[in-house]
Amino acid sequence: MPLLSVTDLTVTFDEFTAVDSVGFTIEPGETLGVVGESGSGKSVTALSIMRLVEMGTRAKITRGRVELKMHDGSTLDLLGQDEPTMRSIRGNQIAMIFQEPLTSLNPVYPVGEQIAEAVRIHEGSDRKTSMARAREMFDLVRIPEADKRIGQYPHEMSGGMRQRVMIAIGLCCGPRLLIADEPTTALDVTIQAQILGLIKQLQVETGTAMMLITHDMGVIAEVADRVVVMNQSKIVEQGPVDQIFHSPKEAYTRGLLSAVPKLGSMAGHDGPRPFNLAGDLA
Amino acid sequence: MTSQNNGQSPVVEVQGISKQFSTDHNARVHAVTDVSIHIDHGETLAVVGESGCGKSTLANLIIRLHHADQGRILLKGVDITDLNPREMRAHRQTLQIIFQDPFASLDPRVRVGASVAEPLRVHKVATKEEATDRVRHLFELVGLERSMLNNYPHQFSGGQRQRVCIARALALKPELVIADEAVSALDVSVQAQVMNLMLELQQEMGLSYLFISHDLAVVERIAHRVAVMYLGQIVELGSREQVFRDPRHSYTKRLLGAVPIADPRQRTERPLLTGEIPSPVWPAGESPALVTCTEVEPGHQVADE
Repeated sequence: MPLLSVTDLTVTFDEFTAVDSVGFTIEPGETLGVVGESGSGKSVTALSIMRLVEMGTRAKITRGRVELKMHDGSTLDLLGQDEPTMRSIRGNQIAMIFQEPLTSLNPVYPVGEQIAEAVRIHEGSDRKTSMARAREMFDLVRIPEADKRIGQYPHEMSGGMRQRVMIAIGLCCGPRLLIADEPTTALDVTIQAQILGLIKQLQVETGTAMMLITHDMGVIAEVADRVVVMNQSKIVEQGPVDQIFHSPKEAYTRGLLSAVPKLGSMAGHDGPRPFNLAGDLA
Repeated sequence: MTSQNNGQSPVVEVQGISKQFSTDHNARVHAVTDVSIHIDHGETLAVVGESGCGKSTLANLIIRLHHADQGRILLKGVDITDLNPREMRAHRQTLQIIFQDPFASLDPRVRVGASVAEPLRVHKVATKEEATDRVRHLFELVGLERSMLNNYPHQFSGGQRQRVCIARALALKPELVIADEAVSALDVSVQAQVMNLMLELQQEMGLSYLFISHDLAVVERIAHRVAVMYLGQIVELGSREQVFRDPRHSYTKRLLGAVPIADPRQRTERPLLTGEIPSPVWPAGESPALVTCTEVEPGHQVADE
């Protein structure tokens, strides 16, 4: 039985349908990659699962179910829950991290305090316990010189370290699902490699399932178990990662893959070579 | 198409160029230190490196948006290092640039046709009728509909806007186009189309490119030669095959090893590293050590470690 089951999810912004009859499942401990180009509906899908999409926007979830399997084996349709219930779900059951950690972190509080705050709010623990958890989380996400860095402010840290802090906040209450929306997009490639390595290791250590949203087929190929391909608000194709990359069924997916520069694919060729665009792009 | 050097001087030759910027804390950013490169006719030299490595400063030095602290820039054999803005103007016809964000590079209140015609007007190289013809031709060249000439930038998609910027850069029939992260902000399908366009234009017009990018997979596709920059200096320089197939410098290897490969059958284990790139900021009076390069094979230079 899946951990999360999304059925027929439809989200509109006035006349525009941003997510159109989307359905997929995420198994416990699994990594689902959601890939698509700008405006394809990936982020709106994630925000709808968290029930954050309707806040301060004209978005409306008009149809569908988002069923989360609870600890007791029952399922809860998140689309039918009130805000207090959703608050108890967010962080504890499903956590989310975003592309740009600097805009997600509060600039006027030390980073350790921001991890501890999440623990206090969700678990009602005291200051000492929550700070001890923050310190443990620093070790979990492999932040070096943890004792010094836990008191630093976001601006004192590099982009890579800030994203480690965001991951620590996401994981501090032991969620069963982590939604990561373009978590490495703003990072340099060597730092991206570190964060991807960390995410994979943490999944092994904590067993957290992950929904990884990205436009980068390289990142998908590296971490996803299964892949959902989105285009123009709809799911075009979904399947195991190997199938999506090596025997894609849809012309859109074939086009997308033909446009991805693949390191090493130019071996033996002299000089530059144009892309041989396939599928929808041909 | 391979690079061709028929005994003529390179389109651009940069000799030992350096640029520092002051910070407010009595320190200096050593953005570019003693960089030497050249680009031949019809050739693409890619400069790769991570944020802050100096690659954009290098582009801005060559196009004279910054003035070099040291070193020389020769454009088709002519020293342009110390030309004043008016003297420089004549050379801008040879040398054009495309930036990362096409929306920021186009005036939102000017119709794109007029934006593309502007260089022709500024340089007084065409009558009004000639300019109109030329702009139409440029639109065709970059794959845009003529009917879009009177549209404003916001009416275009990101890829179309970048095509407009390419058309504008080509208006004066330049010999060298600097592309500073010109495809980085584009969706992957659009990125591939714009790169194909750039390769086509190179074939047709014999253009040279200085292609600045952080994306090694993109660079592998488009470059004849590659320079790897790290903390303001070039640590490896060679043909695309030499740098990608036989990287010698530890930083080049680290960079190549970090690129996620778009094939799940080529997954690699990632070691749990936490290292970061050191800062190019030095206290006043102090300087980074100059790297010295050894030629390990013809055309392949590697910084000594």
